[in-house]
Amino acid sequence: MTVLRVAAVQAAYVLMDREATIDRVAGLTAAAAREGAQLVAFPEVFVPGTPLWIDTQPIWDSDEEWFGLLAENAVVIGSPACDRLAAIAAEHGVWLIIGVNEREQHGATIYNTVLYFSPDAGLAGRHRKLMPTGAERTVWGMGDGSTLGVVDAGAVRIGGLICWENYMPLARFHLYAQGVDLWIAPTLAVGDGWIATMRHLARENRMFVIGVNPVLHADQVPARFPGRDRLLAPGYLEQNGPWLDEGNTVVVAPDGAVLAGPVREREQTLVLDLDLRAVATARRFLDPVGHYHRPDVFRLYVDTSPRRAVIETDGGTR
Amino acid sequence: MQATPVLLDRDETIAKVVALTEQAAAQGARLVAFPEAFVPGYPDWVWRTRPWDAEATALYARLFDQAVVAGSPATEILAETARRLGVWLSVGVDERDDQDSTIYNTLLHFAPDGSLAARHRKLMPTGGERLVWGTGDGSTLQVIDAGFGRLGGLICWENYMPLARAALYAQGVDVYLAPTWDNSEVWVPTLRHIAREGRTYVLGVTSCLRATDLPADLPGRAALYGDADDWLSRGNTVIVGPEGEILAGPLTGEEGVLYAEVDARRARLARQQFDPVGHYSRSDVFRLTVDTTPRAAVSLGGEPARAAAGGGGS
Repeated sequence: MTVLRVAAVQAAYVLMDREATIDRVAGLTAAAAREGAQLVAFPEVFVPGTPLWIDTQPIWDSDEEWFGLLAENAVVIGSPACDRLAAIAAEHGVWLIIGVNEREQHGATIYNTVLYFSPDAGLAGRHRKLMPTGAERTVWGMGDGSTLGVVDAGAVRIGGLICWENYMPLARFHLYAQGVDLWIAPTLAVGDGWIATMRHLARENRMFVIGVNPVLHADQVPARFPGRDRLLAPGYLEQNGPWLDEGNTVVVAPDGAVLAGPVREREQTLVLDLDLRAVATARRFLDPVGHYHRPDVFRLYVDTSPRRAVIETDGGTR
Repeated sequence: MQATPVLLDRDETIAKVVALTEQAAAQGARLVAFPEAFVPGYPDWVWRTRPWDAEATALYARLFDQAVVAGSPATEILAETARRLGVWLSVGVDERDDQDSTIYNTLLHFAPDGSLAARHRKLMPTGGERLVWGTGDGSTLQVIDAGFGRLGGLICWENYMPLARAALYAQGVDVYLAPTWDNSEVWVPTLRHIAREGRTYVLGVTSCLRATDLPADLPGRAALYGDADDWLSRGNTVIVGPEGEILAGPLTGEEGVLYAEVDARRARLARQQFDPVGHYSRSDVFRLTVDTTPRAAVSLGGEPARAAAGGGGS
């Protein structure tokens, strides 16, 4: 396989409704598969959507019902929701890469996580965002170094980081060193500055890059959503416009050229063929972990051990 | 300072640096930045010649003769210019040590007191450049306090080395120089990215010259270079603010000076949103060590001290 057909799905979620959002994932994945996509990428925390209130309201200002919904609708690894996503990938024979609000089965901390489902073997990879941004730190925890792996999908190696994590040079370098041909950056970031970053990353590691965003208009927040009037106060919408997620989905070639997008203020799935041979040939110019690295000067150590809250021991009495 | 060097003529090119710096200082500039390898010019022929052809060898010989030696009369003129005009002057040069033969792609930073405050040798040349330039060691990755802010930079595609950038961020760089030969459209997005990643001002500075600007006696000139349509570099000079916003440029197809006001405090405040070496780092997960020791090929004079023998980036 030297040519890979990919789909980057810029779509609306059903705010804080996991099952309805996964219904959308099923429909959008089916549509992409009909166009021949072998890999389908969804945005950051697409299931069950962006916790919008952290930007539209002061922190902790009567947000308990919203956070309750988030916790209730978060995706737990190994749960029926996770199985549904795996089944969607299997049904259509695609790699399904999707951002979710994730938590432990008995946990209340939400993580900003990307899940990688293979066409035939279920959950093949998981990455928890290392560092939330600004107000995000009031709803999401931080991942440890144990979920910074690259996924081997046969002829293509897939990796990526989430939103502004893409600005962490050491995290990127660690992934580059594992060999990444296709970088997937689920994000909420809007504007041209983000596109510049996507193009830079492509050129820095000479890889394909997919930046994939959700898009949500205020009218798409369900009328019955609890506290809707407070969530979308007129003053906020006047100041920031009606697009709660504006969209910015883009696909970039290893030389930094924009192949498709950026898509803004509409739902659209970008489907295109990536000729993976372009990665190796472009790295004759620059390979940040090979001939353009200076391992005599720079040494990067990465702690990839899982860091659980508690390490249980027998107290040394055994 | 998007300018045209007198290719492979050190003294003529330095005369241009002096005149242009005077102009900029008269406009109130306190930091004046010149392109990559501006004195005596970028060895463009590495992309046009077969590597070991006679022309390439003759051009290399000229580059060797015209290279800049730190502490020589050439750098004295630059230092004196910085002192006389009271400016910071950063100039890319083809540099070598007096007794040595390898040429380095180096950025020299002269302070308003007339001192050579810092020198950075490019860590890794690109493609054909590897035939004419050596690789710097980690000892020249420093960021310096320039009063108006902390000043540092990397050269051309060295800017695609994430760990080298991290080394500068960790030293608090507020004004980041990126002298380059890169004319591509995607270079500007790279500088915008670096500005956003480091929350720093970025000055990308590029030479501008075409075949008709080349000295008549340049070895192989007729065979290698064409007419006015044959650009060696169209220029790509740009100044970017600490949130990735373009403040001036990109300038192409002509010589010219871009001016911008930099405010180090603004860069530092922009790090409320993102600080790659502070609140947005994960020092529990990542640990980068940088070997900043000077690495001489040979140390004469006996065994090094025991501590130094095991030293370096462990």
